[in-house]
Amino acid sequence: MGKYILKRIFYMLLTFYVVITLTFLSMKLLPGTPFQNAQKLTPTQLNTLKHYYGLDQPVIVQYGKYIWNFIHGDLGTSFQFGNTPVTSLLFQQFPVSLDLGIEAMIIGTIIGILLGIVAGLHHGKTTDWSAMILATFGFSIPSFIFAGILQYCLGVLVQIFPVAGWGGPMTHVLPVTSLAVGVLAEVTIFMRTEMVEVLNQDYIVTAQAKGLTRSAVVFKHAVRNALIPVVTILGPMTAAIITGSVVIEGIFGIPGIGKQFVSSIITNDYPMIMGTTELYSGLFILTILIVDILYGVIDPRIRISGGHS
Amino acid sequence: MEKLLEIQNLNVQFDIFGAHVQAVRGVDLELNIGETLAIVGESGSGKSVTSKAIMGLNPMPPGKVTGGKILYNGQDLAHASDKQMQKIRGKEISMIFQDPMTALNPTMKIGKQIMEGLIKHQNLNKHDARARAIELLSLVGIPNPDKRVEEYPHQFSGGMRQRVVIAIALACNPKILIADEPTTALDVTIQAQILDLMRDIQKKTGTAIILITHDLGVVANLANRVAVMYGGKIVETGTLDEIFYHSKHPYTWGLLSSMPRLHAKTDKLLAIPGTPPDLSDPPKGCPFAPRCPYAMKVCQDHMPDYTKVTDTQKTACWLLDSRAPKVEPPKTVVVGGN
Repeated sequence: MGKYILKRIFYMLLTFYVVITLTFLSMKLLPGTPFQNAQKLTPTQLNTLKHYYGLDQPVIVQYGKYIWNFIHGDLGTSFQFGNTPVTSLLFQQFPVSLDLGIEAMIIGTIIGILLGIVAGLHHGKTTDWSAMILATFGFSIPSFIFAGILQYCLGVLVQIFPVAGWGGPMTHVLPVTSLAVGVLAEVTIFMRTEMVEVLNQDYIVTAQAKGLTRSAVVFKHAVRNALIPVVTILGPMTAAIITGSVVIEGIFGIPGIGKQFVSSIITNDYPMIMGTTELYSGLFILTILIVDILYGVIDPRIRISGGHS
Repeated sequence: MEKLLEIQNLNVQFDIFGAHVQAVRGVDLELNIGETLAIVGESGSGKSVTSKAIMGLNPMPPGKVTGGKILYNGQDLAHASDKQMQKIRGKEISMIFQDPMTALNPTMKIGKQIMEGLIKHQNLNKHDARARAIELLSLVGIPNPDKRVEEYPHQFSGGMRQRVVIAIALACNPKILIADEPTTALDVTIQAQILDLMRDIQKKTGTAIILITHDLGVVANLANRVAVMYGGKIVETGTLDEIFYHSKHPYTWGLLSSMPRLHAKTDKLLAIPGTPPDLSDPPKGCPFAPRCPYAMKVCQDHMPDYTKVTDTQKTACWLLDSRAPKVEPPKTVVVGGN
């Protein structure tokens, strides 16, 4: 197991390096400069600015410098925010996105798994169909539509929750719900399919033949096996939800990092583009590792083959 | 001999896509204490459904028992509630399945899978149940049982897994062990080992065995009595010798003829021509009539009653009627060795 994780960490670092390199190079292909009103500047002024920020050097030199600084924990300073270090901006805004994403994931996953189990147990019956219709709606309608509907119904018509903002628990309800609906729908559909599949397996009959109660058969034998494939989709989904809440953050005026990512690209804020990309990809790679380890915890077959490789 | 289990006129039907498949049509069977009863027949003859009906393990719906009784200790298992059946399953009657590769939960340790039944039926605590699980593993011939009890199914070979399945079935000393094609999915050498194990265990525990199979070699190896099923009905029952040497039913002759032989004069494998009847629209008469080389007009329209050939042998065939022409079994029915 230890050897397996070490090997995985090596590949993770390699992936991370490739992501940094590709982002840096493609970022330099973006048209325009980081400077506002660049067209009003004289060429001399522009060159002075470029020289000041080191942007007049060949791309390969800039790249080498960036990597060198990165290894030393220096991600540069943002062009947009008066030379504030990128790291401090990330540390300030990222926890908000993380909070929002994780709350949505937890709620969506738990309800989704429960709903999937119930639907799977009632395969082909009304409960199953209703759960599937709801899940299909949740899956196909984008989160921002839900956000709008929720804001109007529960924020304007019946004023229970604040329409926007991020602070006390009440402000979390609407954005987290809008994000969680998609997660819930996807997990439900997946879990239901797996339950139906697992309940048809021979070992379920073996469990029944031991005289176990229905609930023991379902929870001790079926659910754990049905969870294995569901765990696989949770990894990329967590990363996608945490990083992909841009629109929801925009709608609810949440000071998260999603908005930052978009604006840094529009303004050619090179250090900020790199910083957010590194954060996103790092998070993504890390979640996938966690999921793979979790996978081994649930499925003993993976644990063994991983240990020997 | 004392009756342990009695099946009376059992009917099981499956409602699938508007059709009513009558998988079991009026089966009468009895099982005596300590004996091995083999139910033989080709795929779709209703032998598995009959055995699952005893355990109440047919999926319902679409399956349902439409008639008859399964009497065990004065209790009718065919109409028992799920809760009542949970007390029977694993404790009084347990089951060994066909495919050991899929019959064990891949994410649960072997020991825990054996312990579950013990904890449920014998109220053992975890420690005692574990000790008993190790004891059972060594009973079924698994080396290093105290180590292997902590392992997962994928760490066992097919034959070893079948031994585990048998250990699970034996956990609570059941009175009846139903073995549904226990050797079909195994290599021939492993088959012999598993059959030896089952015989050995029966000697030690006195469990009665219902053996479901289409392999007459397995039957010859293990059974005391044989019931031949065809088209959802039992067409002939008798002791092992009666079925192998003095069978009266053309279907039994067909089964015996199609057994491959080592010293056969031809290298052709004999088969019974035709296919089994469609049980969603079962024939009025004898189900074997369309494939039977001796079929008469009466066979098409009327199901024959059982004729008592001896005290232990019963055959349902019109050929045994006094008005029927005398027919000798074909030369191909020769049982070589035992």
